[in-house]
Amino acid sequence: MVKRGESAKQVLKAVVLEGFHVNSDKPKDEFLIPLKLTWDTAGPLTVKSISYPKPEEMDLNGSQMVVYTGTVPIETEFSVPKDAPKGQATVAGKLKYQACNNHMCFRPSTLDVHFTVVIE
Amino acid sequence: MRKSFILAIVTFVCLSSCSKQQTVVASGSKHGSDRKPAPDFTLKDENGATVKLSEYKGKVVLLNFWATWCGPCGVEIPWFIEMEQKYKSQGFAVLGVSMDEDGWSAVKPYVAERKMNYRVLLGNDSLAQFYGGLDSLPTSFIVDKDGNIAFTHIGLISKNEYVNEVQCLLGGQPVESASTSASAACPTK
Repeated sequence: MVKRGESAKQVLKAVVLEGFHVNSDKPKDEFLIPLKLTWDTAGPLTVKSISYPKPEEMDLNGSQMVVYTGTVPIETEFSVPKDAPKGQATVAGKLKYQACNNHMCFRPSTLDVHFTVVIE
Repeated sequence: MRKSFILAIVTFVCLSSCSKQQTVVASGSKHGSDRKPAPDFTLKDENGATVKLSEYKGKVVLLNFWATWCGPCGVEIPWFIEMEQKYKSQGFAVLGVSMDEDGWSAVKPYVAERKMNYRVLLGNDSLAQFYGGLDSLPTSFIVDKDGNIAFTHIGLISKNEYVNEVQCLLGGQPVESASTSASAACPTK
């Protein structure tokens, strides 16, 4: 439950299966595809900031990479407009990622994500 | 200002597709009579020139499917540059087919930065279907002089494996021991 005129934090936990990794939000190599969470701007909340956790350093045959493994908590701070409609609302977003293991990579993919919030 | 915490969402990244792919990481070789023709294709290279696989009949071709965003693909590229240089005069060619969805705008800067000396082409989904879907990269096929697929590799393998297989198909003997039995000896034709 969130109140109009206040801020709210939301944590999305992405779980990367064991043995795989996804690039961090800021890969060292410009050609790699970063992990990126975006929220639909048409929703009732306004995005103030999105914070990604500290990535891990990984060596792939001499190339230094920054990646995420395991559970990846991504924190979004929203503001709730004073004129936001009261009641239950759904906020939708997309999580773009590109996963690999040490031997191969999989095509970039985008997951639809959403959560429900009650505005009062 | 007060902050509220909204419920966390748990998203399982790579839940199904990756676990399926894990089981298909394998190298394979085919003896001459068992080999199937490499599906022919016509693609453009970075200069806009048309390239047809069947035009390479008579040569040994290392057909490598890759992408700029693929780390393990980047590990192999220096090996292919070296092999192109070393074996080109013996009837060998590397064809690097990029599966980048962003097209040449993504691929050209990469090719320039890595100084790739072999022909790079832009692939597409319909071609991928002919080569098993190409859900994971790198995926490489070593095509013999008759245009048949002699070796298939899904995922990163060692440089020695590639070198040995190419030398076999060029008519020589492998010079170094390969890490897997699949390419420890030249397959009979």
